[in-house]
Amino acid sequence: MNSKEFAKLITCLFKNYRVYSTQEENNQITINELLDPKEVVLSNRLPFYSWKKFFVPEKEILFQTTSNQLAPPEKNEEKIALLGINPVDLQAILLYDKVFADDPYYQARKENTLIIGYGLETKMLDKSIRKLNEKTLENLRFDIFIDENKNETQAYAGSATGNEILEKIGCKKFKKIEFKGHKYNKEWEGKMNLRRGSLKNRHNPEIWEKLGKICLECGKCTIVCPTCFCFRMDDSPENRERCWDSCYYSEFSEVAGEHKFLNSAAARIHFWYNHKFARIPDEYGMMGCVGCGRCHEVCPVGIDIKKVMEDVENS
Amino acid sequence: MNNPYQPQNIKILEITDEAPGIKRFKLSSPDFSYSPGQIIFLSIPGFGEAPFAPCNPPDSEYLELCVRNAGKFTEKLHTMKAGDEIGIRGPQGHGWPTKNSQFPTPLIAKQLQRNDLNFQTRTNNSEPLTKNLLIVVGGLGLVPLRTLIWGKDKFLEPGAKIQIFYGARNPREFLFHKDFDEWQKQGIDLQLTIDNACHGWDGCVGLVTKLFDEHEIIENSSAFLCGPPIMYKFVLQKLAEKKFPAENIYVSLERRMHCGVGVCQHCAVGSFYTCKDGPVFKYADIKNIPGAL
Repeated sequence: MNSKEFAKLITCLFKNYRVYSTQEENNQITINELLDPKEVVLSNRLPFYSWKKFFVPEKEILFQTTSNQLAPPEKNEEKIALLGINPVDLQAILLYDKVFADDPYYQARKENTLIIGYGLETKMLDKSIRKLNEKTLENLRFDIFIDENKNETQAYAGSATGNEILEKIGCKKFKKIEFKGHKYNKEWEGKMNLRRGSLKNRHNPEIWEKLGKICLECGKCTIVCPTCFCFRMDDSPENRERCWDSCYYSEFSEVAGEHKFLNSAAARIHFWYNHKFARIPDEYGMMGCVGCGRCHEVCPVGIDIKKVMEDVENS
Repeated sequence: MNNPYQPQNIKILEITDEAPGIKRFKLSSPDFSYSPGQIIFLSIPGFGEAPFAPCNPPDSEYLELCVRNAGKFTEKLHTMKAGDEIGIRGPQGHGWPTKNSQFPTPLIAKQLQRNDLNFQTRTNNSEPLTKNLLIVVGGLGLVPLRTLIWGKDKFLEPGAKIQIFYGARNPREFLFHKDFDEWQKQGIDLQLTIDNACHGWDGCVGLVTKLFDEHEIIENSSAFLCGPPIMYKFVLQKLAEKKFPAENIYVSLERRMHCGVGVCQHCAVGSFYTCKDGPVFKYADIKNIPGAL
């Protein structure tokens, strides 16, 4: 794909979609609505926030209330295009697809969302590089994927829609990728998987009690985590909404009579790790952590997920 | 695509006082059936949803629930009147094992040592239910078992005996006391205890575990447990003392629930969801999960 073709791609997106892309602000990669093609910054760096909100919105109306009847809101037909999703965040989309497989709201939104991935190489927050090869693209879900190396830009079509768009803009030499589903990746999932065994079979309360003493339970990690999808249902007189929740909040497990099943910070931290490294793999056959490191980046007391899992392994 | 969050509206037919702060609601039948111990969600627009266990005798032409006024939702529910409409969705999860139901065994429990990533969470390995039934309940814990007790000929092996150990804070708090005579006539061994001695009560005084010291447990039985969170530990201890086989113990768990379809995470216990995989679990499957009981 040459620069002319890329420009055509943007024009084509503008015509049919509301476009969000990676951009740069104060030397940080952000995700914003794209209003001017010049603002696009395709980058190998991770954006501060993941792309979660486009798939699992912070707040979503499930039903509108009229005279005691609950009815789903009218369908939102707006099409959006997400341009520049790195492979680490694409991995999280695989998980949403599994978690919300039977969710009509998610499926309707997904149908209206065009996914354009970028970059086989990702610079992780700890400065390490995560490198994919062309072959592993078949294990990620996207419509179009763009990779730049040296002087060449290669486009890939991962769906019929992606294929159609690339043909329409006259892109020569794009490759077709057929989605094969998630595949266990030894390189970064392997280690986590070993630790999952330790987490489940050798419960060591000390690790969690120690963390419970320093954790402020602010929930920032759950907000930035691309795979944290916990939610609660909130009612107002007008509607019933599904909103992000955090298992770090003390009322998360509270039942009538004020009993809390997760009754300490230690219990709640353990719950978070157990979800990512044991429950999700048990349920969906993939890791619940994509390894982006955003949780460590935002943690006010510096809890490092990698370090914690090392402790779990060594305990 | 079916919307798992969509409630249907049904009518409240009758509301009666069951015990102090506890009302019994008779509702018109929803368009689904359920097995004893399963969960349904009630929904009141503006007030949210909450999970409950139906308690009417099987094959009734109505649905019955027994609800304590204990929070925002139930407070509103208690102000409703016969003739009002209320939302309902369900049924969710797995109820008590019965002679016909295949109680699913979670594979995860058996596969803890395996490290591959292709787990199946549940199988339908049926395990035969032991003939007789020991029911140990505290407070509202009798609610999800009433359907089973009234339907014992339907749900249990022919000639199965039932023994019930039931603890409440005081005599006024025993639910379904109008059923007791009929149950006893049917040969059910019902043993009651109250937490603290009170005037006019000449029965057992003490926690439900005390009944274990005063009565022989029926032989060849499965134990079904349901009660306040604190109860399980002590009853399980008693059962262990009596050498009651762990694989014959079933517990119904209470948890906060929002979605009811195993997604929102509020009710997760280890790798299970109370709404989807429970609320009834085989004790052996969850006993090693931190915080489960």
